[in-house]
Amino acid sequence: MSFDWAAFFEYLPRLIRAAGVTLQVSLLSLGLACLLAPALALARLLGPAPLRAIVQAFIEVIRGLPPLVVIAFCYFALPKLGVVLSGFWCGVLALGVVGAVYAAEIIRSAIESLGKGQFEAALALGFARWRAVLEILLPQAMRRILPPLTNEFANLIKASSLLSVISVHEISQVGQSLIFETFVVIEILVQMAVLYLIIIGGVTMLSRRLERGLGA
Amino acid sequence: MDPMFMGQVMVRLLPPLGLTMILSITALAIATPLGLALGARRAELPDRHPAARAIDAWVFFVRGTPILIQIFAIYFLLPKLGLQLPLFIMGVGALVLNSAGYQIEIGRSAVQSVPQGQWEAAAALGFDRRATLRQFILPQAARRMVGPVMNELSQLIKASSVLSVITLFELHKAAESISSANLRFSEVIVVEGFLYFIFIFGVSLIASVLERRLSAAGALADSGSFAR
Repeated sequence: MSFDWAAFFEYLPRLIRAAGVTLQVSLLSLGLACLLAPALALARLLGPAPLRAIVQAFIEVIRGLPPLVVIAFCYFALPKLGVVLSGFWCGVLALGVVGAVYAAEIIRSAIESLGKGQFEAALALGFARWRAVLEILLPQAMRRILPPLTNEFANLIKASSLLSVISVHEISQVGQSLIFETFVVIEILVQMAVLYLIIIGGVTMLSRRLERGLGA
Repeated sequence: MDPMFMGQVMVRLLPPLGLTMILSITALAIATPLGLALGARRAELPDRHPAARAIDAWVFFVRGTPILIQIFAIYFLLPKLGLQLPLFIMGVGALVLNSAGYQIEIGRSAVQSVPQGQWEAAAALGFDRRATLRQFILPQAARRMVGPVMNELSQLIKASSVLSVITLFELHKAAESISSANLRFSEVIVVEGFLYFIFIFGVSLIASVLERRLSAAGALADSGSFAR
């Protein structure tokens, strides 16, 4: 068994292009998650009782499902409900929602970890409830939110590999079809692994630096 | 939505649900002792030790790549090396490779989180390192491992769904084949999701009860994560 460098360099450009798709889909779903997560967390902390219950149930359900099932739901079941998305946008939606749910839990527990005193003090000073959370609690909670959140971003990138089942041309899908096409196994697997290690390693390093910078 | 059809699907999905359970529990039963023991060992080794480097490389690979790549590595590489194994064994192997990698970190950080003073106190009382580890450090570290290890089971259940890509007929693969045979995607996905949810939610309920009973305050609580 020897390593075929010619094959390695022949297929590398295609996998690098696929890595671009992995990055795109991960960044877009991160964006969606960052929009949704605070809304979910605030609804769960401050919303009226029925809304709180609905949001909590939604969070628990998504957390209790493998991401693959959420992806399959977006791809196969949403069209029946009249929402037709391409594989790519389906992936962004599925990963964005899953990421948002986990991020919402991080935000909620960070805010709750600050204790009731802060919140009560803000109310006593005449802040509205939502302003107390947004202007007093959230800024303090940020240092506990950011490091685990970057960790979730790494998870989002890993989860994007699952989009290969709905034929999004990211690293895993392109690598897998190259393996079946060419039977060049080791060289392509190494490329896939190294590309992921570079992307995820980069995000992890960023997260370490943030953690140190924030002193959390 | 057709309740009759969904009932039939539910019945047909029960054996694959059993396979999902067996896969994830078997993998946990192997990965937990392996990962925790290696992690505890790693906590004691200096960074430059060859064994420490090997353990670190394992953790680095597992945490830095999606589980899909790890499954492919086992599925495509082992036959290349002349090892033809049944799918079930490859599936369990991939889950163990993955989960042990994460549990090494659990074991290592639990041992390292025991204050240095405990080591020094035991040394002052004349215990050697091995006896100290076994009698003082591990019992304290073990309580901090309970929560994260229980959490590992729900991670494994979720990760086992990815084994569908190597045509292992666990819950997700079975649901996929039923839905594409009948072209009724939404109903099957709802039933599949229901089964996963009950199983995973049940496990996390048991986990949180166990954790509250056993683990020390301020343990390495982990809200879990969604992807491997």
